[in-house]
Order: sequence, then C-alpha cells, then structure tokens
Amino acid sequence: MHTRTTRRRFLKGAGGVLVALPLLDSLRARAQEPAAPFPKRFVTMYNPNGTVHASWFPTGGETDFVLNEIHKPLEHHRDKLLIFQGVNATVTATGPGGPHQRGIGSLFTGHELLEGEFVDGCGSRAGWANGISIDQAIANQIGLDTPLKSLEIGVRAIEADVQARISYAGPGQPLPPMNDPTEVYERLFANFVSAPIDPDDPTDQRASVLDTVETQFDLLNRQLGAHDRQKLEQHLELVRDLERRLGSGTGEAGSCDTPVAPAVLDPNNENDMPAVMKAHLELLAVAFACDLTRVASLQISTGFNRIRFPWLDSLSEGHSLSHTGASDEESLAQLVARAKWHSEQLAYFMDLLAQIPEGDGSVLDNTAILWGNEVSVGNTHSLENIPYLIAGNAGGALATGRFASFEAASANDLLSAVANAYGIETETFGHPDYASAPLTGVLV
Amino acid sequence: MALVVSALGLVASACQQPVSSSKPPPPQDVEQPLMCEGTQPGTATLRLLTRTQYDNTLLDLLGDSSHPAQSFPPEHRVENFENNAETHQANPLLVEKYWGAARDVSARAVAERLESIAPCAEGASLACADSFLTNFGKRAFRRPMLPDEADAYRALYAKAEPTLGYPAAIGLLLEAMLQSPQFLYRVEAPIAATPETGAIPLGGFELASRLSYFLWNSMPDDELFRAVDALELSTPEGVEVQARRMLESPKARAMVSDFHRQWLDLDRFDGLARDDATLPVVDSQALTDAWKQSLLSYVDHVYWSGSGTIQELFNSDVLFVDPTLANLYGVAAPAEGTFAGVAQPGQRAGLLTQPALMALLSHADQSSPIQRGVFVRSQILCDPPDPPPPTVNNNPPDPDPSLTTRERFKVHTENVVCATCHQLIDPLGFGFENYDQFGRFRSVENQLPIDASGAIVDSPDPAIDGPFTTPFELTNRLGSSEAVLNCLTTHWYRFAMGRVETESDVCSLDQARTKFVATGGDLKELLVALTLTDAFLYRPAMLEGP
Repeated sequence: MHTRTTRRRFLKGAGGVLVALPLLDSLRARAQEPAAPFPKRFVTMYNPNGTVHASWFPTGGETDFVLNEIHKPLEHHRDKLLIFQGVNATVTATGPGGPHQRGIGSLFTGHELLEGEFVDGCGSRAGWANGISIDQAIANQIGLDTPLKSLEIGVRAIEADVQARISYAGPGQPLPPMNDPTEVYERLFANFVSAPIDPDDPTDQRASVLDTVETQFDLLNRQLGAHDRQKLEQHLELVRDLERRLGSGTGEAGSCDTPVAPAVLDPNNENDMPAVMKAHLELLAVAFACDLTRVASLQISTGFNRIRFPWLDSLSEGHSLSHTGASDEESLAQLVARAKWHSEQLAYFMDLLAQIPEGDGSVLDNTAILWGNEVSVGNTHSLENIPYLIAGNAGGALATGRFASFEAASANDLLSAVANAYGIETETFGHPDYASAPLTGVLV
Repeated sequence: MALVVSALGLVASACQQPVSSSKPPPPQDVEQPLMCEGTQPGTATLRLLTRTQYDNTLLDLLGDSSHPAQSFPPEHRVENFENNAETHQANPLLVEKYWGAARDVSARAVAERLESIAPCAEGASLACADSFLTNFGKRAFRRPMLPDEADAYRALYAKAEPTLGYPAAIGLLLEAMLQSPQFLYRVEAPIAATPETGAIPLGGFELASRLSYFLWNSMPDDELFRAVDALELSTPEGVEVQARRMLESPKARAMVSDFHRQWLDLDRFDGLARDDATLPVVDSQALTDAWKQSLLSYVDHVYWSGSGTIQELFNSDVLFVDPTLANLYGVAAPAEGTFAGVAQPGQRAGLLTQPALMALLSHADQSSPIQRGVFVRSQILCDPPDPPPPTVNNNPPDPDPSLTTRERFKVHTENVVCATCHQLIDPLGFGFENYDQFGRFRSVENQLPIDASGAIVDSPDPAIDGPFTTPFELTNRLGSSEAVLNCLTTHWYRFAMGRVETESDVCSLDQARTKFVATGGDLKELLVALTLTDAFLYRPAMLEGP
C-alpha cells in the first residue's frame, strides 16, 4: 500500500507536464488510494463537425503507424492509443432529424432519434436519442459505488436541445452537461464529500426529508393518469438515487480533502475557453483520484456552433468553417489547428491521470477515453470513417498502441467492444439492426 | 388574403377537415370561416416549473429573492421556448439542485421569516404545524393539501420536533415541500372519480395556475385563490376579469420580457463576439448585456407605454441606450446604469431594426443578410426555407475592402441551384444592409453606397410580396401583414400553452387570431384572448377512472 508521503513525493518528482500548483494540492488531497483491484474509469469525449482526414489518420501499418499532424500532441502516449479507420456510423443514416442531430444522438448510443420537435439549424425536426449511451451503460456497471454515478461536463455546450447532448441515462433521457467549472467543483465537493447521512444521529434528518418527499410522489402518483405517472416515476427514481448516494458509497470520498476551487471563469466567453477546458480536466482528474466518480462525458461545443478559437488566430465560426471545400487551404489549416488543440487537451488529461499513482502504475492505466465526432467530414456530413479514437487501455482490457483498420464496420460494434472492456457481457450495443458482434482486435 | 394560421402549414390540411365530424367538409374557398363547432380542448399534462417560474414562485411564496434556479441546468427548448411540457424533465443534476436549493431556502426562511410563514404563539405545537400545513401548504401546492399528504408531513414534524425544536422542524417540512412533486410540477389533470367524456373544463385551481404561470410566470396570488373559491373562474367572463387584472401587474411586464428573451433567442448574446478594428476594445459582456436590455426595453416600451400594437412593434423609431450603447450609436448618453429611449427617425424602424437583433443576426466581422433573411422567413413569417445542401461552403466570404457585403453574396443569385432557395432569403436580408454587425446604421460600406433594396418573394401573404427600396418600407409592410400577425399569434400560443400546436389547436389559434385582428392588432388583447381559447380553458376527458 502506498502512503500519502509516497504520493506526495511522486507528484513532486513527476516529469513531463508541469502541473499547476492548486491542482497539485488537489491531487495530494487524495489521502488514500483505493484498494486493489483498482477501479476502472471511462470517459466519452466529443467535438463537432468532423475532421480533416488527411491530417487525422496515421500513416503506416497497424503497429508501425506514424501519428499524423492532428495527433502529434499525443506522441508520448502513442502506446496508449487505438486509432480506428473504416468505422461507419451506419445507424446515424436513419431516423428523424438533421445530420448534426442524428450524428450526436447516435454517436455514443448507437440508436436512432425519436420523433420530436427540436428544430436544427437547417429546419429538420427530431427528439432525443432512443437509447442509453455507452458512458451510462458503463456507469451502471462500474459507477454504482461512488458518490456520483457519472459526471457530465460541457465546454461551450450551450444549446439546450438534442444537438447539445451526448449522454443518455436511457431512451429519451438526456443528461445535461455542466459548462461552468465552478459548478462542477461545487457539485463534487460541496454535496458529497462532506459527511454522509448518519441514520443514528437524530439531528441528521436528511434521510427523513427525502423519505417524506418520496411518500409525496407516491401519493400524487395515485391521482394521475398513466402518461403523467411515468414522468413522476422517473423523477422519483432520481430522488431515491440521491438519497442512496447521500447515505452510502462515500467511503473513499471521505478521505479526500476538499481541494482549492478553480478560478472563476466565464464559460460562455471565447477567450476563457482554454482555461475552462483546463479547469474541467483538472477537476475530472481529481474526481477520479478521489474516486468521486468513475465515469464522465466531455462535450466540447455543439453541431451548429459559432465558436471561434482566437488563441489559435482561428476566427471563423465553427459550423460554417467546417463546410468549407477541400480546396480552401486557409480554412483547412484552421480546422487542423482546432483538431490539434483538442488532441492537446486529451494529452493534458492523460498527463494528469498519469501523475496519480495507483498500485505500480497510475490512474491512466485504469482509464479509457473514447473520442468521437457526429460526422466524419464537415462539408459532406459523411458518416463513413468516423474519426474514433480510444486513449488508454482500461486496465489492460483494450489493445492499444495500434492503428486498427476495418472494412465498413458499424460503430455499434465498436461500442459493444468498449462495453465488453468494462465487463458488460453483450454481443451488441445500440440498435441491434446495426450491430453484429464486437469489433475484433479491440479487446486484448 | 390567404388564410394562414399555423407556422407548420397545418392549416391547409387541418382546416379543410371538418373539426366537428357530423358536418360536411368546408368549401375550399379560403375566405370561408373555419368550421369550429363544439369545444376543442387542449392537452393537460404535468408541467415542471421552469427556472424562471421556480425563482418567481419562491419570491411570491416566501419572499426569497435569491434566484437559486439560475444555477439549475437549462430547460430543453422547443421552438425557442423553455416551458415545453414534454422536454422539460427531471435529470440527476436537476434533482440534486432541487435538494440543495430546498435546504438553502428553507434555512433562510426559518432564520428570517418564521413568524410570517409559520407563526406559533405557544412556541411549539402540533397545532401550529397543522396550521402551517393548511395555510402555507395551500399556497405551496397551489391547491388545498390533501389529508394523506398532510399526514406524511405531520409524521416528519413529529419525528424531528422533539430533537430539533419547532423552527428547525418547520424548516424540514419546508425543505420536503419544496422537493415534493405537488410544488415542482403543475398538475393539470388529476384523475377523475369516474370516466369522463367530451371536453372537460379545467378545474379552478388548475386554471388559476395556468393563468398565473402564463401571465406572470409565477404562482397564483391571494385574489386568484379567492376567485377559485368563489367559483369565478368557471365562466370565460370570470377568467377574463382575472386576466385583465393580472396584466396590470409588473409581473406581466416581466413575463412579456421573458417571452421575447426566449423567442428572439437573446441568450445567444452570452459569449457573442463582435469584431471591428476601428472600435476601442469594450467589455464584451457589458456590451452584450446592454444589447439584450436595450431590446427588452424597446419591447416593454411598445407593450406598456406605447400603443401596444403589432404595427408599432414593427415600426417605432425608438431606440433604448445606456451610456455604452449611446457611445456606440452616437446619441446623448443617459446616466450610468440607466436606459433611455431616443427617437432615431430615418434610422430605426421597429423590432427588426433594433441594434441588438441586427447584431445578433450577424457574423463577428460582418453583417449577415442570410441570417437576417432566414430569421424573417422563419420567425416573422413562420415559413422557414429549406436547408442548404451539406456540400455548400457556407463559410461567409471574407470581408473585401473593395466590395459591399451585398456584392459578396452575388453567387447566391448567379448560381441557379443556389438561387432557388436564396431568392426567398437574400432579397429579404439585403433590406437590413443599413445595419452592420454592431447594429449601427450605415449609408456606406467600404466607401461604397449601401443598397438596401430587395424584395419579399413568395411569402405566405401575397399582399406583401414585391420589391421594396428601404428597411422602413420592408418593416412597415411586415407590420401590416396578416401572415406576420398570424405568425406572432402562433409564437404566443406556444408560449401560453407550453407546447407546440397540433391540428387540434387550429380552432383555438383562430379564436385568438380573430380577436387580435378585431382589436386592431392590440398585443395585450392577444394575451387576454389566449386565456379564453378552448385549449386554455378545457382539457380532454380522462378515459380511465382512479
């Protein structure tokens, strides 16, 4: 068992990326690492509008691949990467909605969208995705013992409709992301790290209050028709879950001192975006270190975004920029620069996890991040060859250090392989019509 | 004049169907009145309070002005509105936020206002708790608390009071109430004792909440509760009296502002970037806040200080500025922190030329005739254009010092494929070329004269189709168009009902529209009319018993 002293020394001696001081304090706040076998963690990561294929896909073969321009920031994690080629979003081609709506709804669910009334920027209509997303399926598997089952994070994911949701607790049950690091901090450290409910303490009536609330749900339910009842049942289940989480499962969290709060930032302001991103990644690393949660989704922007990247001198508006033609070199350079920035963020997050010791290795060794995009190429909305990338091998379950090529594989079969890596025994994920069997060679 | 009621083009099909099945189909002549016999009920469903409604309700219920819901996750917007009954639903984060807010608010209420919400002369007694449940409970649930509901709270009180004392025990009751579904949701269709048929008048308490959450975005007041108890809401006349009374309240003004914030998507200002190398760097958040407030002040002025008509909404030359905006638009500045109206004849013509809207419908470094044309088509005429094909490069052409914006978009009309759709969009959007990406009025761009002529092409209202030469001509024509009036009716209808209209709403939409027209386009009369539609007053029968 490693001691707190060892951890502190490790952090001070950590090479590679220089970690900011408040974060160092935060990571030190983890007084005691979880016992072996160490928990696995999982993250979905999204950014919109496709990529530039010529700068995304590696050259070379399955194991002797050479990273392309966009992935250069990840070079020192090359052995932890699994880059996919030839995976198509087959389910995305069907069902209601416009291409960006369908793309994001199906990306991590493998399901079509329901009928609905959300209008996309081009006039198409759709509802929510019709199934659970991979992060939530995995959270149901590995996230039930932590204070938060999962953490949904957004970076300028500001619209409030189908195009701004990647995480689903079930069919038609989207989970909203939190865009403000200060709110993430308060959620992580205000509610749950403090004392769990004590049933033997008569001054602690938190459970009684929630019990009373639950009774009121039951009483009202008797007065309602079936449609209304279903709505209340879902809400009631969330109240029960809150009570459960307040009452138990906070053991590890109890050993985690509250870290320093992040700086106050404006999550809507384009100039704050890099700092917001960094703060979110640091908070997520601390949440993993403290075992406050084991699953997260990270949504960076949305399909119809107008986001500019002034710190890269990239001043076009995101969605419009992605519709530039292949011959527009100035725009392509902007797109590559933005994609590369996303790689840098992923690399930074991996660097952080690598600096949290766990057993003989680090939290990174027990983590996988699945990065995807709602279309393959912005100016065609192509659904073939979606830029999927896995970073981290989830405790040795995933066969990383590879550039894996497939012939028109279905993305649903990639999702089922990832589910398998986290102990979900399933042959398919998402809509079964678009799934056959987990992609071969993804698992070790 | 074409008969256009709905934004969805439902009317053509829906109105040619007899709504009352025993009647023959109405004649195809669109001048004929709608066949709306019998009562056409709306839908009744559970409605979760929106953030605005939650905060306003806390203020009216407890005097708590802390606005905790501002940190709640946003509602899922449908057709720009936050109060959609189907998409605004609970999620883990929201339930956590309810929990935290209930704890904070109840602790504060007990510390600061226990005497007013749960007075108890004896110091502590079950009778006081009972009286709290009866009196406060009715306001929190917006209907009398039922005996078994009160029993559950009484049990909590009995458990907590001996250890924690009266104030803290009342605090726990409050904490539980604020998380109970009877508080968080509006229940519109409690199950009937026996199966029903036909259109059922909404119950008094349910109707009172419909009125108050539409016109005030908040809970009913004592007068509304009195009207319910006196059965005054059982007639349309009684409802109208209350609606007119409620529109006199500042809470109605706040609601009208909130409608426009949502409809015009003003939250998109947050994070908006606008570039101009010639301008001194300004605090972008201060600027966007000022734009938002300027537009809402304009709307408030039209509704409550001006004639309150749709014509004025589309034609007034008034602009509201604070010192930041006064500097930007070259007018006299009012005192710091205040907004003042200034007339800009020859520069402003109504809502569509308000600088905030013009800035919003722009790119960071240039105006956007396309966004402006699409906006007029979608939000003003309720006739959205088809989407562009994905292979289109819709990155706007870079600013060119030798051309005007209009000239840079020529490809849309020169290319036959583009022109099919863009003839509906660009000639409308060009009408606003007098306004740059900051909403400043301009007569020249790059030393070249601005050409703001254009045309309304193939709109839902043939009476307004045709060329125009200035933005004033364009907005004047829109402000007098029946299609625009119908479209605005539809937006308000969606807001009032908290849902998108369906075919069964055609008759209620027409009831509201007819009164709106009959009052000369009086916007407040439209709000009253909406509360008197079948869809507002009636719900469908519940076919299942308890």
